[in-house]
This record gives sequence, structure tokens and C-alpha cells, in this order.
Amino acid sequence: MRTPLSLFFLSLLLLLSPSDVRSWKKDEFRNCNQTPFCKRARGRKPGSCSHVATDVSISDGDLVAKLVQKEPTPDQEDQEPVKPLALTISAYEDGIMRLKIDEDPALESPKRRFQVPDVIVDGFESKKLWLQRVSTEKVGGDEHLSSIVYLSDDYEGVVRHDPFEVYVRERVSGDRVLSLNSHGLFDFEQVRAKKEEDDWEERFRSHTDTRPYGPQSISFDVSFYGADFVYGIPEHAASLALKPTKGPGIDHSEPYRLFNLDVFEYLHDSPFGLYGSIPFMISHGKARGTSGFFWLNAAEMQIDVLGEGWDADSGIMLPSSQKRVDTFWMSEAGIVDAFFFIGPGPKDVVKQYVSVTGAPAMPQLFATAYHQCRWNYRDEEDVENVDAKFDEHDIPYDVLWLDIEHTDGKKYFTWDRVLFPHPEEMQRKLAAKGRHMVTIVDPHIKRDESYHIHKEASKNGYYIKDASGNDYEGWCWPGSSSYIDMLNPEIRSWWADKFSFENYVGSTPTLYIWNDMNEPSVFNGPEVTMPRDALHYGGVEHRELHNANGYYFHMATSDGLLKRGNGNDRPFVLSRAFFPGSQRYGAVWTGDNTAEWDHLRVSVPMILTLGLTGLSFSGADVGGFFGNPETELLVRWYQLGAYYPFFRAHAHQDTKRREPWLFGERNTELIRDAIRTRYMLLPLFYSLFREANITGVPVVRPLWMEFPFDEATFDKDEAFMVGNSLLVQGIFTERAKHVSVYLPGKESWYDLRTGTAYVGSKTYKLEASEDHVPAFQRAGTIIPRRDRYRRSTTQMVNDPYTLVIALNSSQAAEGELYIDDGKSFEFKHGAYIHRRFVFKGGKLTSLNVAPATSGNLPFKSECIIERIILLGHAGRPKNALIEPGNVKAQIESGPLLLQGRSSSGVLTIRKPGIRIADDWTIKVL
Amino acid sequence: MNSPFVFVSIVALVLLSDDSVRGSYSTSLPKEPFLGIPPEDVKYYSSSHGIKCKDGSRKFTTAQLNDDFCDCPDGTDEPGTSACPNGKFYCRNAGHVPVIIFSSRVNDGICDCCDGSDEYDNKVKCLNTCREAGKAAGDELKKKIAVYQEGVAIRKQEVEEAKVALAKDKEELSKLKSEEKELKVQFELLKERKEQIEKAEEKERLRKEKEETEKREAEEKAGKETSETAEEINHERIEKGSGGESDTSTTESMHDERIGLVDDYPSDQDLEEDLAAEHDHLSTAVQDQGNTHAVEEKDELVTLASEEESIVSSEPNVDAESKHAVEEKDELVTLASEEESIVSSEPNVDAESKGDDASENADELSKEELGQLVASRWTGEKTEKESGEDFARDNNHEEQSRETPKDTSDGIDDIYALETADSEKYEYDNVEDGFDEDSTVKEHYDFSSHYEDGSDSDSDDELDFEDLAIQKFFSWVEKMKKMWRGILQAINIFQPPVDISEAAQVRKEYDELSTKLSKIQSRISSLSQKLKQDFGSEKEFYSYYGRCFESKQNKYIYKVCPFKEASQQEGHSTTRLGKWDKFDDSYKVMIFSVGDKCWNGPDRSMKVKLRCGLKNEVADVDEPSRCEYEALLSTPALCKEDKLKELQDKLDMMSRERMEGHDEL
Repeated sequence: MRTPLSLFFLSLLLLLSPSDVRSWKKDEFRNCNQTPFCKRARGRKPGSCSHVATDVSISDGDLVAKLVQKEPTPDQEDQEPVKPLALTISAYEDGIMRLKIDEDPALESPKRRFQVPDVIVDGFESKKLWLQRVSTEKVGGDEHLSSIVYLSDDYEGVVRHDPFEVYVRERVSGDRVLSLNSHGLFDFEQVRAKKEEDDWEERFRSHTDTRPYGPQSISFDVSFYGADFVYGIPEHAASLALKPTKGPGIDHSEPYRLFNLDVFEYLHDSPFGLYGSIPFMISHGKARGTSGFFWLNAAEMQIDVLGEGWDADSGIMLPSSQKRVDTFWMSEAGIVDAFFFIGPGPKDVVKQYVSVTGAPAMPQLFATAYHQCRWNYRDEEDVENVDAKFDEHDIPYDVLWLDIEHTDGKKYFTWDRVLFPHPEEMQRKLAAKGRHMVTIVDPHIKRDESYHIHKEASKNGYYIKDASGNDYEGWCWPGSSSYIDMLNPEIRSWWADKFSFENYVGSTPTLYIWNDMNEPSVFNGPEVTMPRDALHYGGVEHRELHNANGYYFHMATSDGLLKRGNGNDRPFVLSRAFFPGSQRYGAVWTGDNTAEWDHLRVSVPMILTLGLTGLSFSGADVGGFFGNPETELLVRWYQLGAYYPFFRAHAHQDTKRREPWLFGERNTELIRDAIRTRYMLLPLFYSLFREANITGVPVVRPLWMEFPFDEATFDKDEAFMVGNSLLVQGIFTERAKHVSVYLPGKESWYDLRTGTAYVGSKTYKLEASEDHVPAFQRAGTIIPRRDRYRRSTTQMVNDPYTLVIALNSSQAAEGELYIDDGKSFEFKHGAYIHRRFVFKGGKLTSLNVAPATSGNLPFKSECIIERIILLGHAGRPKNALIEPGNVKAQIESGPLLLQGRSSSGVLTIRKPGIRIADDWTIKVL
Repeated sequence: MNSPFVFVSIVALVLLSDDSVRGSYSTSLPKEPFLGIPPEDVKYYSSSHGIKCKDGSRKFTTAQLNDDFCDCPDGTDEPGTSACPNGKFYCRNAGHVPVIIFSSRVNDGICDCCDGSDEYDNKVKCLNTCREAGKAAGDELKKKIAVYQEGVAIRKQEVEEAKVALAKDKEELSKLKSEEKELKVQFELLKERKEQIEKAEEKERLRKEKEETEKREAEEKAGKETSETAEEINHERIEKGSGGESDTSTTESMHDERIGLVDDYPSDQDLEEDLAAEHDHLSTAVQDQGNTHAVEEKDELVTLASEEESIVSSEPNVDAESKHAVEEKDELVTLASEEESIVSSEPNVDAESKGDDASENADELSKEELGQLVASRWTGEKTEKESGEDFARDNNHEEQSRETPKDTSDGIDDIYALETADSEKYEYDNVEDGFDEDSTVKEHYDFSSHYEDGSDSDSDDELDFEDLAIQKFFSWVEKMKKMWRGILQAINIFQPPVDISEAAQVRKEYDELSTKLSKIQSRISSLSQKLKQDFGSEKEFYSYYGRCFESKQNKYIYKVCPFKEASQQEGHSTTRLGKWDKFDDSYKVMIFSVGDKCWNGPDRSMKVKLRCGLKNEVADVDEPSRCEYEALLSTPALCKEDKLKELQDKLDMMSRERMEGHDEL
């Protein structure tokens, strides 16, 4: 009788408070105080660490040492003596120091602690510097010794023995760069055998975590020197420069939480953890530059940014001449596997980080264009209509998405045969216009005996197990579901096979995949996710792996598409959950945002933060997932979203239709313009994706990444850079009359639409125009464009290019263009064109920057340059001379944009007719 | 087509002046200089003194025409290439109809024009399919014209009939109104007489009562052994209930009590059943504690159900045995608090049952329920539909009750009630009955069984039916009038004293007249309501009044009742998709708005697009946006003559084109 009664009340409650259903459920998630390890760690005082480093030596090219506790802490007195920990420090090329602290593997332990595999890229170990010697000295007024090892010609790694501390310093000045445990907050709870009196269970709401191995958390403080701000550690809906969460003047704040969660209607300004976790923090300051700290650990993490003066009563002295930002890191399990990135520039730190975790994958060209999504395009007719409407309104788009309703009862890899009776034909029709389709494949597998995936997975024991060893059952879209254990490589391989055209019935070569809900989202689990005591391959507890769960799923899916295309079709997989390394497998987006101005606003710092931490290919749902955007908000969102690396419109099923043509002619036009702006700039974007693929430097960047010495940019997150050439300023308020833009640097900026010049290092109050958000090209750069609009990128292949040259004060500019076939991996074998354009001394030169050694596969393009635009040119030239060939081309004035009004100061070289693939020069006469 | 001179000179110009055209670049230039230009515009482009951009922004030379470089912001100079973003390309499509396409389609590798003229850069070969396409389109058009021709005739007839019928309606209305006046006068007279009789009766009653009192007093003295207790208990029960009017047996009264209360709360039937089921559960659970507890519990349930806010207050002194039930309630109450509703739980429940925190209580939800609850945030109602389990079924109740919250359905009912004045509400629940007003008349005026089956929606029958009904009705009124006069005269002759049989007669007649009067008023009201409607510019939609059109799609039956409502039926449950609002888009669209509210969404609404067809048929019901429905209704009312002419002209033009195309080929 209990069930029906409670159901009855349940239904009443739902009936009675429909509006309350739509809000963030704060109580559903643990805060730090409800999280014992966090509460314990946060309550500790600076200096409470009593570890000292002993037995320091060099072994196998590493510095090794033991960490022992000087005296037992009062509450440990009656317990067995604490075992020494094993510490290892390694140095790598490019300014990276790695610190590992784990329980000594030589000693007995009830359980091996989990060390996340499969994240560090294969090539990384080959960059290890084989340390030869360790020197010792007494640093400053220290009583005890410190051990010092070489990191690079300019930097050294230091282990202070007592009190224990690890830091990086500049060799000559001795200035610190970053340090660990300077405030003595280091703590490492060792795994113990359970005794009868131990009660390790943890309860939260209706859920009980059995915690069979008891407390095993780790915490420590990290300090960044010469830093004004710290950034990174996504995913939070928060500002780019991280605000302090603890310290004087901060009444109460949660730490930044890193725990992958499916948060229903998340808030737009909160340290609360969202769908993905990257425990990588970057500091930046005028005094020192940039450094980074990355902790490879997949358990729940909580990170405090400590406000100045937080340690006022600790009595610990640190070099007071150096400005610093202190932080405090806590994790529930795992080991210390931390990377210190020396910098010193912002791009250096990002490069150092991706040398560990891998550079972003090179996307297919279509994936960098516009995506149209909705939960749900109902049936084949709907798909056909939406597709036709884009053509009717001459709006380009490349990908149409199908959400969960396309499946047969939420069984992924299947189709609802009533709504989608001819999936292959449907995809072929789209493909005939060069368009692609994406279907969703989520990680929850419906427990349905007739479902082949479930049958195989349960027969083979491929599911994640609950604490007692049975297949874990949770509740998600399909109802009762189980979850494939992707930690196991064999299972990943099995999963990858499911994407073959034979196995995925109804799929065609133009179909790509979307992984949602892979945190994993479990509707009836604790905090809407999987219980922490669930068991993975090799006895790994879910608590140890949680934040990497989605990463493994993403990886397996991406591998599936790779296999499907015989290794020569670049996968496209969008994932909601992520972890360090996810950039190798595809794109991510900021999850279920809301159709509100604040969410438009926060999308910028969220995407910038993702870019800083390796995830260059990211975006927010244009229009906002939940709710109905006012038309103005939708238009503004398109105008800004056109510059997101990943540009997709998406909407919840309860919302009104919002395809671009549904808001009257004027708004259709505005949205069309916004989308076309993206298509126009695709050559720039694609070249930037390639840059990210090589260096890790993100497609969109915080201003300070391009202007690291301009302090005014350090906490700016309303504007951002696309590459090094374009500054974009969002408009985040309704009926804005004006918009303030800070244009950094010494050089001028040119309005992207009119070519109007603005002097740098100034804030401008500009009139807000309804037809675009402000965007400026930086003087000294060259932007490649394509000014012809087609149905999709596929039809643009042969179209000519336009170069926009914005001259700086010395009448010079530089830019790059990268082209390949847009789909295959042949670019890895040299099948690409990579040009550098240099304008200097009145002459534009096209140079080949593809290294001669890059491979022998050819890539041909007959594409020509139809137009070269000069901004800020001093003279009034009439002609240009093209070499080779000694051909003349006319120069006339304006316009900058074909549809725009012609403006003064814009010169156009008409029809130079030169091929993009060739070497040539053009001299302005 | 063009003068050869112009053609040659342009070619020459292109060759002479455009020295920057090089190598492979030239291959994508159109071979024909006026490519993409409609014939009527050729002249515009033939000027030798430079051509103006159509937006007037600048001029360009003949050499710049179709030179694959955009000079005019509006694309004037590049009709035949893709160089300008807003250009338009004209396909000649000989053999079919000419088409203008976006110049972004030129040389994009996709054949857009049936003559293939949009793809000339040799990257793709387009076959000329204009003849086939032209023929197919011609055949299609002919079919359409045939439909229109027939449809126009039907429409004409309907327009004629509507005129006649409307006139009849008006006539009937005015007749009814004068009838009403007369009857009112008679009614007043009869009422007066009735009151007189009642006064007399009252006197008589008082006299008798006095006699009886005296008699009883005498009896009481003889002895007083009557069971008072039973009566009292009964009395108490009634008080506890809804102020019940009957004194049936105890169990029955309890049952009625519940039903009565639930009925007061006009939620949908499923919730009611649910309530009943829950009540049963509860009663069995606490039966041991006796009936009083059962009643209390039940009362709470009812309170909960009938109150919109989830304010739950429980009685303070629950004894130990009933704690179990209370605990459960408390758990759910806690759940409620999570949903941020206001809850005051009872003060005297001991600590144990209160639970440590919210988590303890949420525990009582099964894992499935919790999953379901969380899922429902994203989906609202939808997940249950996929699952065939009991839980899902139960949740359907929840879903429905959620979708038809009390006030909304109430509100709609009220509106309907108001609209139809005295006519019964059930009429709207029973759309099959076709013309509801008539069915009312039919019932009360006892028409012959021939009309009993009134569901026939064929318009001819209906007209007949109406005619007959009105005829019969008036003859009946006449007959009654005569009878009344007779009675009244008779009564007047015999003024008091009161004759018992006569009093009964008067009362009977009074009741009857009062009923009849209200029926006439109801008919007046519904007729005036009908005449207020907008039946179209030529009253072509008159015959739609009171009719419904159905379409079955999968498990749903969609019903479109013009001037009334649109609904969706699934088994026995009906969802109102919208109430009649208006015609839109000059009588090409019917709008139904403010239907049942969607959970987490807007009120449902439906847009019915009309198109010419010979039969009235609803097709293609669709829900393009959540809870916004669309359907297509074919109807002769849309087969208009001017449109027919347009189609015929188009056919003529197509035939000419095809002839020309044939010549060219």
C-alpha cells in the first residue's frame, strides 16, 4: 500500500507546485559541509601538516623521497603508526615538473589507490628529462635542508624537507613560481583495513555510500607567485577570473566543486560543479606571467581560491616581496599526480598542458559550421521541412540533430520506426545538399531483454556493478537502465564496434554522434548520478573514477566512429561530460543552460575557461535550452554564438519552436546575417582549429592571452579574442542602447563591418546596433574570408577567398590560412595547404608554412583569391602588380562587406585571380 | 531571342576589357552574357553607357556584368554567378515554368533548375528534366482544377442554402421571442394562483398540526420507549459529511460523502478514481482503529485534494496505532517541502517518526519513483508513456491531473456554461450528438424516434431536421396555449377554498410551464449565439455550425468542431486543444485557442488551415511546437472562383511554355 499512497501524494505535489519544479534543486546536491572529506579538510589550520621528506635520492631519472610524519597528530595517537608515503619528482621538456605522492607500493595496503590511466598521451614519457643529480642547500633562513633538481635552464624544482614543501623557482633570482604545501595544509588519508568499530558509511538523503575502504582523501595548498588572478578548473557557471571562496570579507561560499553532475537548470553564477571537470588551474599576473597547476585525479574535488589575508593568523612566512594567489585543493580519493607548468606566457602554459593531455582533435569542416538542433525533430517530415525552410530562407546550415525521441523506446542505435521509417533515405537527402546528421547515443542502456545491446552487455558482464557485485541498475530516460563499464579497454572496443554501418542499422557515412548524460546522469542516484561505491573494471570504485566516466564513454564512441571510417574519417562526437584529454575525442557544450540574458552572459567565461584548459571546441546552446527566449535575446545569442567555436542552436521539448525564420522577416534577416558571419569567417576558424590542433592554443581566447601585459584585460570576460586577430564583444542586456568595449594594446582596431578605425588601449562607448554585436579586427593581422554563401560548407569547397589586411602603424600585417580536405586524416601526411601572408613595405607575400617534412600526400586546390581588402593603408594606390606573371589588378575603394555600405579608407584589390596554393607577391603601386 | 548584335558586342567587350581574368578562373564564367536575367530585364542590362545597380548605389560597366565579381550590394551585376550574396538567378526552364533562385545556388554542385542552367562550371552534369517536370506539374494542376470546378459548384449551393437557413433562423428567433413574452405573462398568472393555493394549504397544515400535537401529548403520557440513540448517530454522520441530504444506511452515507466531496472538486475522472483507490487503501490500513480514524484520514485526503496550495495540516493528537499512516503522510509532506511548498506537520508526532532529515523520508520513494520524479523535471509528463509498467500507468493520472488543474478546467466549463446560458453542460461532452440545441429540443418535446439518431452530420439531413423541429415545436406551442387558457379559466372560476386535486393540477402545470419557458429561453439564447457567429464573407461556413470533423491518427482521434472547439481523444480521455477563437488569414485558417493547459508549457491551441476539397476532411494533424497543433481541413468552402480562374490561367501559361519549350527542343 505504500507505493500507491506515496505516488498519490507525489502526483498531488507535482500538481500543486508546477512552478517549483523548474528550479535548481540545491538540496539535492551535497555542499562541502555535507561532504565529510571536504568538511574535514576545510576545517584544518595552516601548518597542521607534520610531514617531512626523508631519504631523498635520484632513481631512474627521478627524484624520489619518503614522506613521513614527524609526530603523530593527537587524534591518531592510539592508532597504528602511519606508513611513509612515496614521493617522486620528474622533469619534462618545455618546463614541466611532475609530482607524484602515493602510498608506498612496496608496503601492504588493503587497496591500491586509483591512478587514472589513458589520459596522459603516449608521447609524453619520451619528453622526460633524465635527472642526474640532486643538490642540497639551506634556502633562506631555513633550519633544514632542501633538495634541488634541474627543470630547465631557467628553472629548478625544490623539495624542502622540513616542513615539507615542493616548489618551482627561477634559477637566477630564486623567485618562486608555484609551490605546494607552503601553508602546511597537506594531508593524505591512507587506506586502512576496516576494524569492527569503524563505521565508514556515509548517508546523503535516501542514499547510503558503504565506503568499504573508509576515508582516503588528499588535500594540500598550492600557491601561484607573481599572480594577479587564477583561472581554469571548469566546469562552473562563473566568472573567468576565479573569485575567492574563502578569506576576509567572504561570508560564506562553497569551494569550486569538481564533480560531474547533471544539474537541472543550473544557476548562472555559482561555484557549483557542472557536467565536466578539469583540475587544471592557470595563474596570470603582470609581475611574473603565467603558470599552471594540474592534478590528474578523477575523484570528487573541491578547490578553494583563498582571498588575500586568509592566512593572517597562521604565522607562516612566505616571500613577501612576491604577490601571490593561494589555493586549497581537496580530493576524496586517488593519488597526488600533479603537474607544475612553468609558463612563462599564457600560450606556453596551454602548450605545456596539452603536451601532457593531448591537443584538441582536428574537426571536420562541417562541424565548425552551424548546427541546428532541437529536442526533438519529431519525424522524417519535420526533418524535411526544417531542412527545406533553411533553403527557402537562404540560411546556411551544416548539421541537423536528432535527440532521444528518434529512438525506439530510448534504445540507442535504434529508430522509432513510426516516426523514422527511412533513416537512411532521410540522411541521404540531407547529404545530397552536403549536410550531415547527428543522432544521440547516451550511456544508459535500457534493461530490456529484446534489446541487443543490453543482452550482450549483461551476458558478457559489461555493466558497471553495484557495491555488492550485481549489475548496477539506475533510472534514466528509458526507465530501468544499466551502464557500460568503459574503463575496460575490451568493453570500449566492443562498444566501438556498435557504430559500424552493419551494427548501427539506419546509419550512413554522414551520420555522427552526440553523447549526452555521460556524467553519468542517474535520475534516482545520489545527486542524480551513480553511487560512489559502484564498481568498475579492476575493482575501481566509482568514487575514484567518477569525473572520468564521461571521458571514457566519449573516447569509446569516438573510437567507434574512427573504426567505422577505417581510420580515415575524423570523428565528430559531442559530449556533455568531460575530463582532461576529452579534447582528443571531440567537442563539448555547456549543457542545459536557460534562455536568459545572464546565461548568455556566462557562456563567454565558460567557453573561455574550457579553451584555456584544452577544450578548444566548445559552445553553449544558442537560444538557451530551457525556456523561451524573447526574440531579442535569441537574435543576440545568434550574433554572439556565431563566434563560439561550437555553434549550435538547441531547445528543450517544452519550448516553442524557434527556428531562425519564425520571428518575422526582420529577425530572420538578423539571424541569417549572424549565421552568415560564421560562414564568412570559416577560413579563419578552420585555420584556428588547426592551430589548436598543433599547439593547444584555443580558438577563442581571453583578452589577456593576447595582451598578457595589459592589466585591464586580466579580469575581462565580456569580450574575447577569436585567434589573435578578432575581438568580439557580446551584448548581454535587453534593449541595450550602448555597449562598452575595451580595445587593448597599442595598435588600432577596425570595425569588422565598416572598417572604422579605433585607437587601442581605450574603452569606447559605442551605440548598440540591432544587427550585430561589436567585433573588431586588430591592426597588424590578416583575416581570410569566404564571402559567398551556400547551403552548407560542402558547396563552398571551390569558392574563392577574400583577404582582409588590417595594417598596423608600420603599415604591416600577417595572417595564416590552413586548408585541407575537411574530412580525412590525410592532413597528417601532408595533404594540406598552409600559407602565411605577410604584408610589409607595400607588398603582400604568400609563403608556404607547411614543413617540407610533413608528408608526401598531395592536397590540391584550384581556389583563387577574388578580393584583397586593405584597411588603414596610407596612400591612394590605383593598381597592384602581381608576380609571377607581371599582371595588373585594379584597386578601388570599399566596401568591407559586400552587403555593407562602402566606407572611406577601405581599399579593394579587384580580382587578383591568384591561386591560394601558389607562391606569389602583390605589390601595391 | 536577343538581338545577335548585342550578343556579339558583349562577348567582344568581355574579351577586350577584362584583362585580369586568368587561367582556370575564366572557366566558371557564364558562357552566355545575360545568364540569369529574366527576359523582361534584358533591356535594362543592354545599355552601353553603364548599368545602374538597382538599389541605385553605383554603376557598373557591361564588362562587369556577370564577371564573377560582386560590384552591386544588391547583386544587380551578377545575376548569372554566385558572386553576390543577395543575387537572384533566373532559370528559363523551357518546357516548364521559369523559376528564380538564389544566386548562392549557382555552380554549387546541385542541380536546382530543371534545365540545368544553374550549373555551368562543369563540376556536375545536370540533365534537362523540364519536359517531364512540366508534364507532371501540368497533370497535377489539371487535377486541381477539376477539384476546384466541382468545389465551386458545391460552394455556390452551400452559400445559397446558408442564406435561406439564416433567414429561417432569424425568423424562428423572432417568433420565439414573442412566444416567450406571451408565456411569461401566463406564467406570472399561474404563479400567482399557485401562491394563493399554497397559502391556503399552509393554513390547513397548521390546523392539522395543532390537532396532532394534542393527540401526541396524550400518547406520550401513555409511555415513551423510543430509540433516540440510533437517530442521533445518524444525524451526527450526516453532519460530518457534506451536509448530506439523505439518511441512508451508515456505509452508504460514507460512500456518498466521499463521492460528494470529490464531485465538488471537479477534477478529471482519473484523479477521482485515484482518490477512491487511495481512500480504500487508507481505510483498510486503519480499519482496526475504528471508523472515526478512517473518516479523519479520509477528510485529510480530501482536504489535500481540494486545496490548491499544498498546505497540509494534520490533526494534533494522533494515537500510536495510527502513526503508521501518519508517518507516510509526513514523509510525503517532507517531499513537499523539497518542492518548496508550505507544510506544517503535526506537533505531537514523536521524534522517531519525524525522521532525521529529508533524506530519511525520500527513502520511502522506491528507486524507480525517485528516478521518475527527477526525469519528470525535464520531461514533465512524457517518460511514463514509454513504460508499460504499473508505475507509468499510475503516473498518467498524475499527468492528467496536472495537465488539467482544477481552476483551468473549471474556468473553461464556466465559459462554456455562460455561452450557452441555460443549456446543459453535457452537450459539450457529447459532440457526436451534432446539433446540441436540437437534441435538447428533441428530448423535451418528444419528437418521433426518427430523429433520435441525431448524430448524422450530413448537412441536408440537418436542414430537414431543423425545419421539422421548428414546425413541430410551433404547433406544439399552439396546442399548449389552448390548454393553458382552459385551465386558467377553470381555476378562475373556482377561487378558494382549495380543492386538493386542483392544487396538484396547478402545481403540475406550473412546473411544466416553468420548464417549457426555460427551454424556450435556452433555445433563444443558443439561436442568438449562433447568429452572432462569423460565417464567412458569403456565409459559406454556415453549415459548419454544430458540426464536427474527425481524423484518426495512430491512437488519437482529433475532432475539429468549428465555432466550438477542437479536441484530441485517446480512448476515453479527451484533451481540449482549443476553444473556437476566430477565422484568420481571410477565412483560410481557423484558430482554436486557450485549450487545456500543458504542463510546463502554454495553453494548447490549434490552427486549422483550410484548403479546397470536395469533402470536409481533416488531415495531417501535427504538433509542430509543443502543445501547438496544426491541421489541414479540406472543404468546398475554400473552392473560390477567382482562385479557379488563377489556376486556369496558370495552366494556360504552362501549356504555352511547354509548346515553346517543345519548339526550342
